[in-house]
Amino acid sequence: MLFQDVVFWLLTVVAVGSALGVVLIRDLFRAALLLVAVFVAVGGYFVLLNAEFLAVVQVLIYAGAISVLIIFAVMLTRDVQQGNPPNRLQIPAVALAALLLAALVTVAVDTQWSFLPEGERQSVELVQTAAVSDISPETLEQAGAAGESAAQGVGLADLLIGRFVLPFEAVSVLLLAALIGALALVRPRPAPQDARASGAESASESAGAGAAGSEAD
Amino acid sequence: MADAARNVTAPPLDSGAAQARPVSGEPVEMLLNMGPQHPSTHGVFRMVLWVDGEKIVDIVPHIGYLHRGSEKLCEGEQYHQVITLFDRLDYIANFNNEHVYVRAVERLMGLEVPERAEYLRVILCELNRIASHLLFIATMGLDAGAMTPSMFCFRGRERIQALFEAVSGARMMHNYFRIGGLKEDVPEDFMPRLRELMPQIREDLEESDKLLSFNEIFLARLKDISPVTAEDAIDYGLTGPCLRASGVEYDVRKAAPYSLYDRFDFNVPTGLDGDCWDRYYLRVQECYESLSIIEQAMEQMPAEGNVLSSLGRRLVRPPAGEVYVRAENPRGEIGVYLVSDGSDRPYRLKVRPPSFCNLSAIRLMLINTWVADSVVILGSLDIVMGEVDR
Amino acid sequence: MNCVLGPDNILYDTVLFREVYNFVGQVLPCWLSWFVAGFVIIFLLVNAVLLGAAAFSWMERRLIGKFQNRLGPNRWGPFGLFQPIADMVKLLFKEDLTPGTADKLVFLAVPVAMVAPVMLMLAVVPFAKDTALANLNVGVLYILAVTSVTSIAIFMAGWSSNNRFALFGAARGVAVLISYEVPVVVSLLGVVMLAGSMSLADVVSAQTLPFIIVQPMAFFVFVAGTAAELNRTPFDMAEAESELIAGYHTEYSGIKFAMIQAAEFGGVMAASGVIVTLFLGGWEGPAAHWLGWLWFLLKTMAVAVGFIWVRATFPRLRIDQLLALAWKFLLPVSLINLLATALEIYFLRDASGVLTRGDLGIMTGINLALMAGCVFLFGSLVREKVRPVAPGLPPGVTPVILPARESPARDLPAGETD
Repeated sequence: MLFQDVVFWLLTVVAVGSALGVVLIRDLFRAALLLVAVFVAVGGYFVLLNAEFLAVVQVLIYAGAISVLIIFAVMLTRDVQQGNPPNRLQIPAVALAALLLAALVTVAVDTQWSFLPEGERQSVELVQTAAVSDISPETLEQAGAAGESAAQGVGLADLLIGRFVLPFEAVSVLLLAALIGALALVRPRPAPQDARASGAESASESAGAGAAGSEAD
Repeated sequence: MADAARNVTAPPLDSGAAQARPVSGEPVEMLLNMGPQHPSTHGVFRMVLWVDGEKIVDIVPHIGYLHRGSEKLCEGEQYHQVITLFDRLDYIANFNNEHVYVRAVERLMGLEVPERAEYLRVILCELNRIASHLLFIATMGLDAGAMTPSMFCFRGRERIQALFEAVSGARMMHNYFRIGGLKEDVPEDFMPRLRELMPQIREDLEESDKLLSFNEIFLARLKDISPVTAEDAIDYGLTGPCLRASGVEYDVRKAAPYSLYDRFDFNVPTGLDGDCWDRYYLRVQECYESLSIIEQAMEQMPAEGNVLSSLGRRLVRPPAGEVYVRAENPRGEIGVYLVSDGSDRPYRLKVRPPSFCNLSAIRLMLINTWVADSVVILGSLDIVMGEVDR
Repeated sequence: MNCVLGPDNILYDTVLFREVYNFVGQVLPCWLSWFVAGFVIIFLLVNAVLLGAAAFSWMERRLIGKFQNRLGPNRWGPFGLFQPIADMVKLLFKEDLTPGTADKLVFLAVPVAMVAPVMLMLAVVPFAKDTALANLNVGVLYILAVTSVTSIAIFMAGWSSNNRFALFGAARGVAVLISYEVPVVVSLLGVVMLAGSMSLADVVSAQTLPFIIVQPMAFFVFVAGTAAELNRTPFDMAEAESELIAGYHTEYSGIKFAMIQAAEFGGVMAASGVIVTLFLGGWEGPAAHWLGWLWFLLKTMAVAVGFIWVRATFPRLRIDQLLALAWKFLLPVSLINLLATALEIYFLRDASGVLTRGDLGIMTGINLALMAGCVFLFGSLVREKVRPVAPGLPPGVTPVILPARESPARDLPAGETD
């Protein structure tokens, strides 16, 4: 088991170090790149847990798509090398961060972490789902039984379409709302001149396509 | 989008062109400096693009990187020496340039050119027109991202240049036309080689035409890009294929026939929309017209005869006077204004280069297009910087 | 089993690792054989990428030469085969420039970030039966995930170079990568449904009929998306040399440029391997089954030649047209394909959920007809915009004819000058 331990600590150093870098480095672009490193390291944790599906999804969505969006946003920021100047919201931000930390620590300490026996590692990733919900291990095993070795995603899919269909649908509505909001934001304002209106229109088209792309991801 | 581009009229540039502000007045994201060392600006042309995303908001063209003072240099050279300078103006169509200059001097002197020499001049000029258009098709393909047609076109151009080399001894800077005729008669195997060459050129043309002209992607890149109306084209002084693509049937060879062009039967192709694709395809069709002119000239040309009038052999001293002569070059109408004070050197020589005048419309054509279009549009104007900067 | 770096680790699932480990383990202590086996795998990956890149660069230059009536490199070695070595040596000795205003750390990291995804991609491609370097059970998704990381590398290059052409290239490249990921993923769902597994080995063994004919639409969407993600003509937006010089790697020179180029060429080979695995039956082929690697290699070469052929033939699209193609054509088509495939599987499969070869044949017919319909439908939609009219023959339009003015030169034989 030492191999796993070594890799775990390596990943932890990378993850924590990069996460600290994200917060502490002033250059926004480098901070965004370090965030990618955090995502990839978290993917590594999933691999260690034999949850390849989650690992791959982590890389695909977080490292591949979301971080690109973040970098795009960074690019639109002025003075990337300087970072954000301090403003009056410092104290509320500290309070909010402290609250969030407290909530996270409470959840982590209070949760009944359950471990499956060695032989059923392929459904380990479902334990994480169980950690934040109240599913009984029996449900998990039923769901996980379908995906013996073919695809570990099957158990997740069953859970998503079955038990968690309501939150799942709620999330899709949220995404739709975000999509409409993005379109509303980039909608061209009424332009004074004809020639300019057409330019703004096509610009918003491409921006709309980009927004749609991010949502579809 | 295309319609919007059609309606844009570019306001006049500020006197300080370098500080030109974007026309829209909105904050602009980025200034993109294209050239003078950019692969697609056809020489040392520089465009300063104001871009909003990938849309061009404004453009400031900068020329002069290849300025050699050709017109001033002409004043220090004897009339025959000036021919070499004209070779270096539009270095893609050397024979056409030599032709218009020697015609100017001949007009000033009232020289009669032997018929055989004039026929040979027409044949060489039209061959040069095809070679020039082949280069245009090649670069148009490259500008749109297609590599292969350029190689096919260069093969055809190489064949023509091999013939030029046999005739004049040089592939490009020929220095072959003389005031009053030609330097010497063409080599004996000229006619057989030409007869052999004609179907080959036609084949090369058809090959690149098939590969490129109606390719769906090529059409998408060129059709409806930067259309220029006939009125705008005339106002901006466009000539040559750029003017005819907008639907104006104006070709100096037809409108004011010079040399022997009234003896040939040929069409002047015109476009309809004046967009990039029309400007492209018009040149392809002009190549076929040139081929037909060459064929007719080959039939009519006297087999034997003098190629240099006796006056041209002496030191050329035209009588004091001035003359303006124009001709249809591959790129448009070239004009030569020549003033003589009776000495053996021109007193003043002014060239109206077609590329320069066509390039003046670049601002009208580029505003409100995409960055990628700028390359294609510039390519469709077919400029030669040697001629623009002189 | 008391070994510190014993066989009890995830790498041991890999066939190759296990074989090498057991073989070497007969003589070496187990921790050393663990390193040896790991080294073998890494060695194979690195060299597969470099060899693939070298082979592809030679093939591309020779073949494009043939397409264009010229010779291509033919001086060094038989048929110029050693040309990639010469290229590499030349690039190694070139000055390694870093722009003064560049973000040097990020600039330096880009070549690594470009090459790594290609190696990772090759790791799961099974080049013969049971011979993938790592047989992941989520192989298809893994490939998508790994290729998506390339977009960050492109962005790093464009941003750190501090060059506007590079930035343009990067912005385009990322826009293209994000847009084309969607149709590519959706098109692969059909394949995954047919195979009933995301493991690449299972996908190959499920192809009693090659999926290229069962899933023609998915194939074309996937190939187009792959070409876009690999920056191949006609989708090579990020490095459109006619407008952006070299796009995101404009500022790179020397060995860094060589690595980026190796990543691109190796990427084409790796992607060709993936296409062969997913759609062309992988290692399956006539004759002996131990010849699988040969069939795989031949098919991969054929796909790579296809990429070269396209590059030699087509011009380049514009960025907006490219994105429009992804969102307005490829995405709907891949969705139609997904829906059709799901319905077909639902109605055709037997009680145990197995699809016979005959079922696949029926699906082939339906999908081909569907593809013809889609191409016709979308083709007619696109065609409306493009209307080439041959100049010289405007139907029913009389051209403006300027009056033939008298040439001023005619009545100016010799005037007076000052």
